[in-house]
Amino acid sequence: MRRLGLSFLVVVFAAAAGAPFLAPHAPDVKFSELLYAPPTLPHVVDDAGAWHAPFIYPWRLADRLEQRFEQNRSTRMPLVWLRGGRIAQSSDEARAPFLLVGADGSGRDVFARLLFGARTSLGLALVAALGATLLGGLVGGAAGYIGGIVDEALMRATDFVLVLPAIYVVLALRAVLPLVLSSGIVFVMLAAIFAVVGAPFVARGVRAIVRSERQLEYAVAARSLGAGHARLLVRHLLPAASGYVVVQLTVLVPAFIVAEATLSYVGLGFQDPIASWGAMLQEASNTRALTDFRWLLSPAAAIFLVVLGLNLVLQQSGVNPVTISSDEPLGRLRSDSHSL
Amino acid sequence: MTRHSRSVAPFIAAVVAAAVGCSRPAPSTSTPGSRQGGEIVVTNRSNPSTFNRISSPGGRADDLVALLTQAKLVRINRVTWEVEPWLAESWTRSDDGLRYTLKLRPNVTFSDGEPFTSADVAFSFAAAYDDKTASPLKEALAVSGKVLGIATPDPQTVIVTFPSFFAVGLRILDNLPILPRHKLEAALKSGTFANAWNLDTPLTELAGLGPFVLSEFVRGQRIVFTRNPRYWRKDADGSPLPHLDRITMQIVPDQDAELLRLRAGQSDMSTVEMRPSDYAPLKRDAAAGTVKLIDLGDGLDAEAFWINLNPQHFAHDPRAAWIQKDELRHAISMAVSRELFVNTVYFGAGVPVFGPIAPANKKWYSAEVPHDPYDPAGARRLLASIGLVDRNGDGILEDAHNQPAHFTLVTQKGRTDRERAVEVIRDELKKIGLVVDAAPVDFGKMRQLVGSGDYDALYFGPGATDIDPAVNQDYWLSSGGAHFWDLGQTKPATDWERRIDELMARQVASPDQNERQRLFVEVQKIFAEHEPAIYFAAPRVFLATSSRVTGYTPSIIPPQLLWASDTIAVVK
Amino acid sequence: MLAFLLRRFAFAVVLVFTVSSAALILVRLAPGDYADTVAAPNASREVKDAMRARFGLNRSVAQQYGAWVADAVRLDFGRSMMYGSPVRGLVREGAINTAILAATALVAATLIGLPLGIISGSRRGLLADAIRTVSIVLLSLPPLLSSLVLLAVAAGTGWLPVGDMRSAGGAAWPLFDLLRHLIVPATALALPIAAMFERMQSQAMAEVVGQPYVLAALARGIPRARIVWRDALKPALRPAAAVYGLVVGALLSGSFAVEAVTSWPGLGVLMLDALRARDLYLVAGCAAAGSVFLAIGTIVSDVALVLIDPRAVEAG
Repeated sequence: MRRLGLSFLVVVFAAAAGAPFLAPHAPDVKFSELLYAPPTLPHVVDDAGAWHAPFIYPWRLADRLEQRFEQNRSTRMPLVWLRGGRIAQSSDEARAPFLLVGADGSGRDVFARLLFGARTSLGLALVAALGATLLGGLVGGAAGYIGGIVDEALMRATDFVLVLPAIYVVLALRAVLPLVLSSGIVFVMLAAIFAVVGAPFVARGVRAIVRSERQLEYAVAARSLGAGHARLLVRHLLPAASGYVVVQLTVLVPAFIVAEATLSYVGLGFQDPIASWGAMLQEASNTRALTDFRWLLSPAAAIFLVVLGLNLVLQQSGVNPVTISSDEPLGRLRSDSHSL
Repeated sequence: MTRHSRSVAPFIAAVVAAAVGCSRPAPSTSTPGSRQGGEIVVTNRSNPSTFNRISSPGGRADDLVALLTQAKLVRINRVTWEVEPWLAESWTRSDDGLRYTLKLRPNVTFSDGEPFTSADVAFSFAAAYDDKTASPLKEALAVSGKVLGIATPDPQTVIVTFPSFFAVGLRILDNLPILPRHKLEAALKSGTFANAWNLDTPLTELAGLGPFVLSEFVRGQRIVFTRNPRYWRKDADGSPLPHLDRITMQIVPDQDAELLRLRAGQSDMSTVEMRPSDYAPLKRDAAAGTVKLIDLGDGLDAEAFWINLNPQHFAHDPRAAWIQKDELRHAISMAVSRELFVNTVYFGAGVPVFGPIAPANKKWYSAEVPHDPYDPAGARRLLASIGLVDRNGDGILEDAHNQPAHFTLVTQKGRTDRERAVEVIRDELKKIGLVVDAAPVDFGKMRQLVGSGDYDALYFGPGATDIDPAVNQDYWLSSGGAHFWDLGQTKPATDWERRIDELMARQVASPDQNERQRLFVEVQKIFAEHEPAIYFAAPRVFLATSSRVTGYTPSIIPPQLLWASDTIAVVK
Repeated sequence: MLAFLLRRFAFAVVLVFTVSSAALILVRLAPGDYADTVAAPNASREVKDAMRARFGLNRSVAQQYGAWVADAVRLDFGRSMMYGSPVRGLVREGAINTAILAATALVAATLIGLPLGIISGSRRGLLADAIRTVSIVLLSLPPLLSSLVLLAVAAGTGWLPVGDMRSAGGAAWPLFDLLRHLIVPATALALPIAAMFERMQSQAMAEVVGQPYVLAALARGIPRARIVWRDALKPALRPAAAVYGLVVGALLSGSFAVEAVTSWPGLGVLMLDALRARDLYLVAGCAAAGSVFLAIGTIVSDVALVLIDPRAVEAG
């Protein structure tokens, strides 16, 4: 099972890394005659039962207003391999593009956007989760190690962030910001918000671990051997919390991916040309995606794959995911994205 | 004095004949009386801001409340576009055309039982003209900035005196709902009229002359209108109007949720048209017989794109060298393929449009008005003529200071057609090297930006309430309140705006229809030459109702069905 | 214990005050105000200024904030600009509606999530895997999408009302009517929380079941079901108890997406509308109510933890 989970993750991350090679098109190429076109699945057998190299049947627009497409079964479009640095394309990309997961409402290749969106979404989630653990680790470590008034102050601060109705603050913040935010700024801002919101959970757990570890023999011994405070904290106490921190990372990542979708609802997500899973799900949030264009829901499937992969890896990894606070971030963020 | 009274047209039949552009469903002709009773549920996207239409800053929900609960002296029939007698039963016009003597309909009472007299008319004008009210209706009820004179020699007579000859005469009275003096006079006298009849006012304090009365208001959820038993209008067969006992207006901000309710049979209609993207599921439902899908043909209102032409906004901006130049706007118009626009934004359900008067406005559209061809190469040449050239070969044009040519395009968030349109404009302009940053914002924010003039460019559908340019002067005149690209001009900012002002002044003062047509073509030509607002396409208008709704007379402009709410009925 | 509670309470007061103040000041400082968003674009300066004077927007930020605070300590939170009525009533109404929704969702999530978690955590096999998979699917969907899915199902089957809190024309049994309307939004809210509870409970259960005392009990031949439900359950409930308060708080502070899509007139949409209209006092009122709920949530959570484990008082 762990292997399976790991392979899921490897596939997703490889797909993200190899997006320019794997995607048949750039994520912002628009096929204006193929708005909401269904997937063009590769075939190897034609209607007459003859075998061919993989090919697709092109779509013909039957009714533009109803977004109805008919497959042109008389034309076979062979796939061409390794052309222009891309693994597979249709032989006539301009007229009959290879749309493995269909097209979205702007006529863009959903598959390409999934791959490129993985870079944005996973990148953001990873950076934010790292930031949260780093920030939380430092705060929690310092609070647990120094204790006393510092502990009290730091813990009150984390409590404050914990119970802050973050979404209200984010909404109010959006009103103050300029109309147009570059995608770089959006990335940094979202990562910062997620890191701050996620950090308290990490901090609570790390503090508890550091506090208890500090009393243990090896820490006492190290101190008596003359280890400095910083050294003791960084070399001895924080590593004790590392298992916990790893768990945190895996819980925060999926929560952040989903939260990004919700933030784009209030205008704080990535703007149009940038593909991200969250923004794609936001676009898919309409009734027709549920009935007529189900392929638009594919980002949810991608997130599922990542979450499942993380769960499978985690469950068998010996890292125990069951500490009280380990699930808090998930709860917090899930319910937070609810409050959006 | 020339007798100038119009017959009380049983307009339903006329409406059907005077199609604006396509076939209409004929209203059912069931036997009289059988239509009486029943209720419908309609969905509206926004909340009202006040129950006082005169002090309302404008907004669809406020208009709807006024349409359903109040009445006007005359009504513009939103299908035939003729003026119909309403509270004023008939009128005569003086020979010089300046003075109208209106006879009010006798035995009309407000919903609270108080009789309706000319004093209420005088009061309503006074309220709209009062500076403290700050009513947006003031501009609409004035001619060349001068207000109308109102005299009430007796309770059944109102004399309206125009400050100068006004071609469409009483047509502008369609703007003013007549409010009850007995309820509101105290507020006007004490200077609190602007805040009277706000959303916190007990509904029993309201009274009106419309077909319905407000009977329940739950903030953010619903407004319930019940039949006004004292309503004065009768159906063609003499049966009392309105037919419906109740209209429940649910506030549903989300367009998808609105569609779902209609399809689930939990609402009977939306207050506005459906999106072209909703056509496919609605067509399936129509085939199954659960909804009626009504195709009204090409719309009257195309949405507009404009660059902020207020010189202040770019005063300290290096882009001032090119951004307000005519050439830029022509280049933009030439760079956007209208065909692509129609196909992408409206899924093919629309027609290309090149100016504020769409072809569906048969009366005022003119093929003589020139328009920009689709010519991206020509657009690039135009841009080069104002100093925008690709100086470093990156595909993006740079100005004389080597700064990339870019601007921010604001539009309304949550309106998918507008968001799609901005996407198309951005993509098309990218092809000629102009960088557009799209900024979808909430409606209120957009209003604020337009008001403050603090934006680069905007894409929005201003929407007119009448086809006659004389009633839409706020758009054409440089001082007008809908002269969006450069609001608040005290005197014309440019020579061409001055010329349009002059032509419009002549146009609205001419008694000769041919002369008015000719002058308006002139206006449109000047407009096309400078293109302060660029138009791309007018969508086809689709309505959907539940299959039980009948007796409606759909107009091409919103609210397509509720503009004539008193004849709507349900099949039992 | 009392000192602990008092400290928590004082903290909550500071929190509520800070959040509502921050919301008020942020919105006040953002470009544009209520008059700008509501007045016609061409309204003259005088018109807008008159409007501002009416709502006290013509004062400096400090003056306005000071006046608001002075009123707020007397529990007068001002009047909403767009609705014309006191903020207190509006917020109370929204908060009650949100509370009804949140309570239903929480009960449903608990009743679904915890038992499933106990089942999937205490045994292995197809059933446990199926439960886990469903949970992860639910965790992968943003709430906006899941509420739309449910709404579409309600519309498609016609069994349930599509949005709103009560039937338009009133109903014979108001409570039953309310329950019918509750199903879609409450389910949309409850499902991901149930999934979260399930995951948490499952993992906690798995850990407890692996403990030596449970293994010993099993070895002694005590029926597995009895061990699971009687002995292992109690310690395994701790993690859920710990997050319960936070979930309560977060749920109560409003759920924008679900409320907006299902037209549930709660605190979340009230806040969103207020922000859009720059209705300052209403924004501050909503933010205050939201943080009150969150603070109550944490206090409940802390008290629960203290009751389970008295050492937590000292740990803070």
